[in-house]
Amino acid sequence: MSARLRILRAGPLTTIQDGGREGLLVHGISASGPMDRSSFDRAGRLAGASAEAGVEFTQAGIDVAVEAGTLRLGWAGGAFVISVNGVAQDWPGSAELHAGDRLSITPGAWGNYGYLRFGPGLDLPLVMGSQSTSTRARLGGVDGRALVAGDVLKLVGQGKAPEAVEAAHRQDGPIRFIWGIHARHFTQNVREKFVTAVFRISPMMDRMGVRIVDENRVFEEASILSLVSDPILPGDIQILGDGTPIVLMRDHQPTGGYPRIGTIITADLDRLSQMRPGQTVAFAPVSVEHAQHLLRSSA
Amino acid sequence: MSGFDSATPRRAEILPLGDCALLVRFGERLDDAANQAALVLADRLAGAGIMGIKEIVPSLVSVLVRYAPEMIGPNRLAGEIALLLGAKAAERQAPIHDIEVRFDGPDVAEVAAALGLGVDDFILRHNAAPLRVLTTGFAPGFVYCGLHEEALVLPRRTSVWPMVPAGSVLFAAGQTAIVATDIPTGWHVIGQTAFRNFRPDADPPTLLRAGDLIRFTSVP
Repeated sequence: MSARLRILRAGPLTTIQDGGREGLLVHGISASGPMDRSSFDRAGRLAGASAEAGVEFTQAGIDVAVEAGTLRLGWAGGAFVISVNGVAQDWPGSAELHAGDRLSITPGAWGNYGYLRFGPGLDLPLVMGSQSTSTRARLGGVDGRALVAGDVLKLVGQGKAPEAVEAAHRQDGPIRFIWGIHARHFTQNVREKFVTAVFRISPMMDRMGVRIVDENRVFEEASILSLVSDPILPGDIQILGDGTPIVLMRDHQPTGGYPRIGTIITADLDRLSQMRPGQTVAFAPVSVEHAQHLLRSSA
Repeated sequence: MSGFDSATPRRAEILPLGDCALLVRFGERLDDAANQAALVLADRLAGAGIMGIKEIVPSLVSVLVRYAPEMIGPNRLAGEIALLLGAKAAERQAPIHDIEVRFDGPDVAEVAAALGLGVDDFILRHNAAPLRVLTTGFAPGFVYCGLHEEALVLPRRTSVWPMVPAGSVLFAAGQTAIVATDIPTGWHVIGQTAFRNFRPDADPPTLLRAGDLIRFTSVP
């Protein structure tokens, strides 16, 4: 069994992602992987994905055509508008497509990242054990770059039985974090303001990081010392030299020397990745034990 | 170069970094003892076989330990780490790598002048003693080597080179770094090497390990 998909239209930063290449920070390589892991997994269950990799697309959506073969596709993440051969489909959802079929995904009500997963596996090389694209390190996916119109993806193998999944209920409330490795470099006053102020998501966001607008100038007076670099993980909240908070995401640089006031808990990182520019965001501290409890109950 | 006596462990701080990792930190500024302590702990952790550890990342003055919370809790892991801090180190024989450098970088004359040296003298002093790989970080295969003697310490540039190619040899903050992929940098570019630390198709993907020794030599 094999199939061929052609990308007819791709928004910026459309990439191939899988579970990521973990365990390589010691070589200076961050893991990459989907920005919204739970939606990526849901799309995979809908598709009956037999392999780990899929396509991550951004707010503008994506158009693809099946050039050859028959395959099941599943889609999830945020709320996009989708049609197959001009017929509207549910979001999230799945369908079996045949040669000549066209699938079109356009911007919807909320979210930044959507996922297309496939029954068969993507025929792309493993780079250090993963097909994930790191555009920062120019590794994985298709020649280490974002997908563009005209790219053709080959798929091989047999899909598994698709599963039904529930639509994601959109959560709100503050983004929860654990106080960071440099929290005590900030005064009590700054720490207090950080957990009471309202911030805004900035338009400067990509797979490396999401910059936050500090409208209430919480970090205006924080004197930022230069620190020795330490390893970084996704969710770390760094305060840059000019006082701008930035949340480091899946293609983060492996080490960093700006002070980290907190690290977003694993259970809330997917949600942060889907927050659009202009949306307000507040931060609330929790304990490691509570974060791990939330992780168990969301798994 | 080894100012760290492993029989008297340096005070370490064990901090949560998110909900799936701990950071063990041996100091808040870069010095030889803190770096050695981090490397020793990373080695001991790698040898200890503690269930639930997913990744051990030694850095300049700290070690990141990622764990699976369903297999080990942060308190228990911190306890295991504390036991290793007290243990005596098994000495590791550090491999020595010879790396040839053409010292013709765009900043080498300025660097030498800022240190009050001629370029030839700067190269001699730079290559006088082997340096240790302090850590790999910032970008794939990017290694920090150090530490140079006090008289060779220079701050970073005030402006950034938007892109320097793989093989660039950088100098700042008492360290020499080797670039493995094209990157922007605020460090002084002092030369070029044919050595490539990062090979994405190989396993492991980098050749140099933290703790290895580097002997820099000058080639025309």
